[in-house]
Amino acid sequence: MPRRLSEGSSRREFLRTTAVGGAALAAPYVITSTALGDAETPPASDRIVIGGIGLGNMGSGDQRAFLGMKDVQYVAVCDVRTRWREEAKARADKAYGNHDCAAYLDFRELLARDDIDAVHIATPDHWHAIMTIAACRGGKDVYLQKPETLTLAEGPPMVAAARRYGRVVSGGSQRVLDDYRGIVDPCWAGEVGTIKEVDIAVGGPSRPCYLPAEPTPDDIDWDRWLGPAPWQPYNAGRCDGNFGTNGNSWRSYVDYSGGSLTDWGAHHFGGAIFAADLREEQPARVIYHPPGGGQGAHVSLEYPSGVVLHHNRPRPLRPAEPSVAHQGAIEIHGDGQPREPKAVPLYRDAAGSIYGDFIACVKTRERPFRDIELAVNTMTAPHLIAIASRLERSLDWDREAQAFRDDAEANRLVDRARREPWML
Amino acid sequence: MPAESASLDAPFAAVAAFDWGGDIEPLAVIDAAVVAAGSDPGLRADLERRFAAVLAGEASQAARQYVCRQLCLIGTAASVPALAAMLTDPDDSHMARYALERIDAPEAATALRAALAELEGNLRVGMIASLAARGDAASVPILASLVAGDSAVAAAAAEALGRLATPEAAAALAGAATSGETAERVVDARLACAAAAVAAGDKPAARAIYKAVGEAVGGAPATHRGRAVRIACQRGLLATLGG
Repeated sequence: MPRRLSEGSSRREFLRTTAVGGAALAAPYVITSTALGDAETPPASDRIVIGGIGLGNMGSGDQRAFLGMKDVQYVAVCDVRTRWREEAKARADKAYGNHDCAAYLDFRELLARDDIDAVHIATPDHWHAIMTIAACRGGKDVYLQKPETLTLAEGPPMVAAARRYGRVVSGGSQRVLDDYRGIVDPCWAGEVGTIKEVDIAVGGPSRPCYLPAEPTPDDIDWDRWLGPAPWQPYNAGRCDGNFGTNGNSWRSYVDYSGGSLTDWGAHHFGGAIFAADLREEQPARVIYHPPGGGQGAHVSLEYPSGVVLHHNRPRPLRPAEPSVAHQGAIEIHGDGQPREPKAVPLYRDAAGSIYGDFIACVKTRERPFRDIELAVNTMTAPHLIAIASRLERSLDWDREAQAFRDDAEANRLVDRARREPWML
Repeated sequence: MPAESASLDAPFAAVAAFDWGGDIEPLAVIDAAVVAAGSDPGLRADLERRFAAVLAGEASQAARQYVCRQLCLIGTAASVPALAAMLTDPDDSHMARYALERIDAPEAATALRAALAELEGNLRVGMIASLAARGDAASVPILASLVAGDSAVAAAAAEALGRLATPEAAAALAGAATSGETAERVVDARLACAAAAVAAGDKPAARAIYKAVGEAVGGAPATHRGRAVRIACQRGLLATLGG
């Protein structure tokens, strides 16, 4: 049963055809007792009004975090799955003791609400760029789950939208700072000297999906779930939001995710790149090392500052050496020579969470810890590794042009056509 | 290792019979050959001929998707006719663009422009998106003719003109008579054109756009959107100072 064209996807068409459904989904805006505040809670007029798009696994966690913040008023949810949408609305309503949280099927309806200051987005990756850019154009600040980009080409327009419209856009890897202080602190303190090499081990890239068709449940608007991705028939394993990449989740498949390489990579590369203070840089050269000597292929990234980051380099870890900082899958090698310490950038809220950092920056208009530009730079690393691995050759990356030098084939993999009517 | 041509016969027979849920193992030989074809023009031509034959046959939608994903990487002008024939089919239009958008041969842009003239609605929006993604400045005149009123096509044409951001695109956007959502997209596109003008060193042109858009949004916008546009104009004007 082939089907393919994204139906009913224009906002005007949605508004025209689902007026009744929209009215049924969206609760009226009502001033309640929680709007007045108390000794510990600011009145609603002083709170950041927020909505959420994508309320599955990570989205529900993000929602809980924002619901727990007294300077946030959570007013709307959007999801293409009925159950997740209703559960998310119920969580918000329970938190405030009312029935005020509105529930939307179409994210453009939520973004059209002018009383909303900010949104958090935790959809599958193929929606991230489109929704983030739309939110910025609408004057909303954005907390965007990682991995922030699905393709290399998505990063620059996301950064441009944030900067052009003066938006606070935070990426969503809480682990970069929370999990890797064990290497961040000694590296920024200068204890390993000038950093020369970084070793990191992350899983592999995603793959095409050809799972068989299954009956589409009533619980999901499949066309909206696919959005800009190629049309494929519903299969539970294609769209499940679990964190695995073994073929039973959207994180396994190239149309929706970069696989473990970008999913866990957003954390691990994020931690390594932060520890090595490379967040402002993008790699200049991608070196593909073919398999040999009983070892698999691996890829190295040369950064303009001279640091080389190795992904899956087949070598023993050496955590005992004083010039090496080691934590989990990351190993950072310095020259061991004394170096001036630098202050570690931290979250801007006293509570010390990435969510609090975002809300603090919404108020102050400062750039958050994982500002979208730093996030895009970080995600460039696994994207480049995926392309070099697929083509099995080394590549030169021109950051200014956002293109590979002298490699037309590699440049074909910088982006991909989106299903109509979606475009960047 | 790349396969000899004859050894591709069985895998291509498997592609022709492939469908959702089918065995992808035989396709791995073709995947490897596609990567190897980048440095082997003969293999590339052979693969393109075989892929075109699959597209011309009775292959399933899954098989046609598989072929388009490969042609996205290695397709040349030789593959354009087979792909162009799919552009008007709602089941295949997107995946044909998936390949054509990335094929740098001018024949690919010509095919997209021809389909743009023929199609309507969302399929037409798709052609607009792909031409914009290709940076096809030759599309500016036809895109300019589409930015009028308030429709999905007009909004997409405005977006595309903003992405192309040539002086001709900026002029077309300035003169567009639009309303509703399309008018909003025209504003975004004009701001993109202004940013491109600053990057190109044409600060007077950028300044004119920022001033015009800023005056239209007013000094004290009442909405988040209006304030964001105001911020964009003020920041943009600052970028045009000093030259």
